[in-house]
Amino acid sequence: MSTTSLESLVATPYKYGFVTDIETEKFSKGLDEDVIRRISAIKEEPPFLLDFRLRAYRHWLTMAEPDWAALSHPLINFQDIIYYAAPKQNAKKASLDEVDPKLLDTFEKLGIPLSEQKRLSNVAVDAVFDSVSIATTFKEKLSEHGVIFCSISEAVREHPHLIEHYLGSVVPLSDNFFATLNSAVFSDGSFVFIPKGVECPMELSTYFRINSGDTGQFERTLIVAEEGSSVSYLEGCTAPMFDTNQLHAAVVELVALDEASIKYSTVQNWYAGDADGVGGIYNFVTKRGHCRGRHSRISWTQVETGSAITWKYPSCVLQGADSVGEFYSVALTNNHQQADTGTKMIHVGPRTRSTIVSKGISAGSSSNTYRGLVQIGPKAVGARNFSQCDSMLIGDQAGANTHPYIRSQQPDADVEHEASTCRISEDQLFYLQSRGIGVEEAVSMMVSGFCRDVFNQLPMEFAAEADKLLALKLEGSVG
Amino acid sequence: MPTLSPLPPTARAPRGHDWLTALLKATAGPGGAAGSGADPLEAGREGARAALAHAGLPGRNHEAWRFTDPLPLTALAPHLLASPASAAPDQPSPLPAATGSTLRIHLDAPDTHARAAWPDGIERLEGEALRKAVLGSVLTDTGVEQEWAVALNTAIVPRVLALRVCGTVAPCLELVSQAGARGGVLPLRVLLLLEEGASLTLLQVHLAEGPSLTSVVMDIALGRDARLQHGLVARGVDEAALLAVTAVRQAAGSRWSQTSLCSGWGLARQEPVVLQSEGRADTRLRGLHWLEGHQLADTHSRMRFAGPEGSLDQLHKVVAAGESRSVFNGCVQVPRDAQRTHASQLSRGLLLSDRARIDTKPELEIVADDVRCTHGATISRPREEQLFYLRSRGIAAEQASRLLLRGVCEEVSAELPAAAGAWSPLSFLNAASQRP
Amino acid sequence: MIRPDAPILLEITNLHAQIDDQPILHGVNLTIRAGEIHALMGRNGSGKSTLSKVLAGHPAYTVTEGSVRFEGEDLLALSPEERARRGVFLGFQYPVEIPGVSNLEFLRVATNARRQQLGDDELDTFSFEDLVRERLGVVQMDPAFLDRSVNEGFSGGEKKRNEILQMALLNPRVAILDETDSGLDIDALRIVAGGVCQLAGPNNATLLITHYQRLLEAITPDFVHVMAAGRLLRTGGKELALELEERGYDWVDEELAAPRPASPVEAR
Repeated sequence: MSTTSLESLVATPYKYGFVTDIETEKFSKGLDEDVIRRISAIKEEPPFLLDFRLRAYRHWLTMAEPDWAALSHPLINFQDIIYYAAPKQNAKKASLDEVDPKLLDTFEKLGIPLSEQKRLSNVAVDAVFDSVSIATTFKEKLSEHGVIFCSISEAVREHPHLIEHYLGSVVPLSDNFFATLNSAVFSDGSFVFIPKGVECPMELSTYFRINSGDTGQFERTLIVAEEGSSVSYLEGCTAPMFDTNQLHAAVVELVALDEASIKYSTVQNWYAGDADGVGGIYNFVTKRGHCRGRHSRISWTQVETGSAITWKYPSCVLQGADSVGEFYSVALTNNHQQADTGTKMIHVGPRTRSTIVSKGISAGSSSNTYRGLVQIGPKAVGARNFSQCDSMLIGDQAGANTHPYIRSQQPDADVEHEASTCRISEDQLFYLQSRGIGVEEAVSMMVSGFCRDVFNQLPMEFAAEADKLLALKLEGSVG
Repeated sequence: MPTLSPLPPTARAPRGHDWLTALLKATAGPGGAAGSGADPLEAGREGARAALAHAGLPGRNHEAWRFTDPLPLTALAPHLLASPASAAPDQPSPLPAATGSTLRIHLDAPDTHARAAWPDGIERLEGEALRKAVLGSVLTDTGVEQEWAVALNTAIVPRVLALRVCGTVAPCLELVSQAGARGGVLPLRVLLLLEEGASLTLLQVHLAEGPSLTSVVMDIALGRDARLQHGLVARGVDEAALLAVTAVRQAAGSRWSQTSLCSGWGLARQEPVVLQSEGRADTRLRGLHWLEGHQLADTHSRMRFAGPEGSLDQLHKVVAAGESRSVFNGCVQVPRDAQRTHASQLSRGLLLSDRARIDTKPELEIVADDVRCTHGATISRPREEQLFYLRSRGIAAEQASRLLLRGVCEEVSAELPAAAGAWSPLSFLNAASQRP
Repeated sequence: MIRPDAPILLEITNLHAQIDDQPILHGVNLTIRAGEIHALMGRNGSGKSTLSKVLAGHPAYTVTEGSVRFEGEDLLALSPEERARRGVFLGFQYPVEIPGVSNLEFLRVATNARRQQLGDDELDTFSFEDLVRERLGVVQMDPAFLDRSVNEGFSGGEKKRNEILQMALLNPRVAILDETDSGLDIDALRIVAGGVCQLAGPNNATLLITHYQRLLEAITPDFVHVMAAGRLLRTGGKELALELEERGYDWVDEELAAPRPASPVEAR
């Protein structure tokens, strides 16, 4: 088995690259205070939020794009981006029947049927198209349990006190260049609120679709789990194929109070650009969870297969005593994709525990970097961390970098880190072949075996989905 | 890596400006390369002095110095230490006697070098021979030439001890320096060329007893199939600082095995930087830092495989007590041509106090697919189960932890060259156990 | 069992093969009919393992001359997985570990690939588990092995038993067992040998590669071949193995030093 045939295995056409032909209301390109005021006005936001946006914007003007990641891309011209785009005649509709059928079709084609008859059972979906949420399913059923699941724009109108209390409380508006930009211009995203003692009766999910070619997507997600509650949330992402790059700069904030648990899963399949590295999404995302309460738990699981550039470090601040943070990640890069991803586990409180399992697969001329920080603060008595970062290289043009920072200030704490780099060996491949298993399936089995620790963490409904997505990425002709 | 050149000019004076200026002034003029008149270091010196004066001391914005601030150096007397061999006003402690199987060279007494009875296989290079030996090429190849600790050394070091080694050298070569209580800066530079098939045991010993900076740059080239067993024992005091750079270029088939034990310094920074220029070489690194009080120890290692089938086996250990801080940054670069590289890196930290801190940052950069690279890091405290096991056999708790600590240290010290025994490399353990 | 009228399963003619430009096989001739058990003996480095790898289609080896026909078909034209699906089974001397891939899943996919070739229905997870549990008995293996990754952390004996389990599931026409006896203690050897005997039948054939007599005490071969310097030097019945045990391999050197016979050694 030569590496060339292995490489051809991971080259597969992108299946979600179509563009929905729909009339869109768009701002003209560029960003200034006026644009921010208009976004805020369209969304009928209360003054505190406009103020939040403007403070962020003014701060952003003083900031510089970070350059420490192992990523290279042409300078982003932030004045060449449209900051708001929405399908026309679209105030959010009271019922799905009023939603433009083209939009419903789009989501159906993406495997996310929104209509009452076809919708996924036991999964509530918030569907976001460019800058707006177009539909949220199962809202009534959820509200019977006191669970709020809606677009963040709606939450701003309906639950302003919750937004004011929690927005920016995990990722402050001055946090970093991209998060600050998001704080200034965020358009839509999801809001989840699980009240005290409630176990959310179904999986919640948001599906993000970028449609417009020159629009940036700046979604904002906020999930709050009150004392003793729990929720599992999944996001999925796709975008059409354009030969230009689109910017996606999202912020996700999670808050877990005493004994609450949030499981956040991502299957990211943004358009990655073509084989020569033309086009694709620039994915600069800030995700952070705050285990505020004792015995709280936040778990990030991500399967990153798309985007030209991924810059993403879902993190946990473990403040509550005995709180638990987890990060399970699969990042697959191919062609000229670049991923610089990892996590931060900040142990503040006593007996906090964290687990990191990261699996990077690099093929083609791609570059895949794990960057992580485990910090054990002076008060984190009895804290524990275990990290495992494995890389798999396919072909000799791909690169894998591992940068796990560890900082400990607490003798009564254990930090353990393991990393390895491997490839699919000819002998393993031959062994499987000699038992009648074809090359493609053999590679797919080994890659999915390599990722198994992570897939096991995905909600049941999506584990198979992720396996399929990876298999898809690995599908192709055998050379 | 911070380089000196790309820093933008600033209106403000560079960090540590006054001290650096005084130091540069005190070391101005010819280095005093005795006899030949040709100063082999001259070529690089002026550039280094200019760069240093311009850049000042590295600060937090230099990634490689983020956790290690060299600012305390500016408290030291900005002049070179008087050579203890010529005049010894500060009465340094006596050294252990050299045994018959070692050849001891006092790095800080250069006038003795010409008189030394160099054994078969070691030739001291001077004048023309030294210039021909391509002084500094290893520093350039390994990319450390521009780094601050090297530039500082190049700017102020008056002379170089250059040795060529052929064949197997029987005695252990001891290179010793001692910074006495009087204080000042002691810059040392050694060039070591091991010809094809040469084999040498080297023990490098740096002692400090007063407010001093020992700045040592080892410039080592190993020819094909050459072997260097290299021990380093560095023992300082709280007022003393050590900046030790060891740049090694290894040809195919060579083996460099370094074991270093470092204790007592207020500030100790070690930079082993290795280039396997053709791959197919062995590199073995063992390091132990023992830290107490407010001491800071920083190890920045960098390993680059420029050819296939090389191997690295690295173990870095640190024991941090008191309010000490330890920094470990281990970079391993495996570019495309370095197929079938086998690299393993392990860092083990032991925190003995809740005011101590350990920062660990392994960096793996791998572009070859047929390689086995692993790294691991642990930071923990002495194992309760081990303690309990010993106690259940009737050993008192305190003695049990001492036994365990000794075990931690001996895993490294056992690999020192035999000659190191004379220097009591684990003496800090006794001192520690006597403390309340 | 020797039946001269039994169909020919495997026919190797003048096989030359090399690895990294180094020739290893120098004209191997061997015919195997249904029902037969062949033993291939010889010193380390004589080319036994190379022959087994070439038959299974290992990509590192290049065939430079000669042919191999399996049930009349050109075996060398087939990919390794096609050979396996048609019923050529190689029991590896050193089964490779495949972390992350579940043994049970691996066995199921492999078994179904073979069943598909035979025109049998694919087995779903449940019926496969029934089958595999039944076959576990052949090698007296602990079902716990099914939940582990393929060969990962298995002892030498466990790996070999896993190989025989695969053989029991894949139901091969020709099983080539490369040093299946090496590294086994006496109990494991008995179990493995018992498994091989159970699976041998009138419609399939076995090629045992070994350099000790002891496996052949448990499995009686119909033919014994001695391999040296990349070809079959001599062929005989089971008594040849005993002779080797007594005399060792030194005579092989003498024979190799002697002028080569004009015609290739006939395998039968």
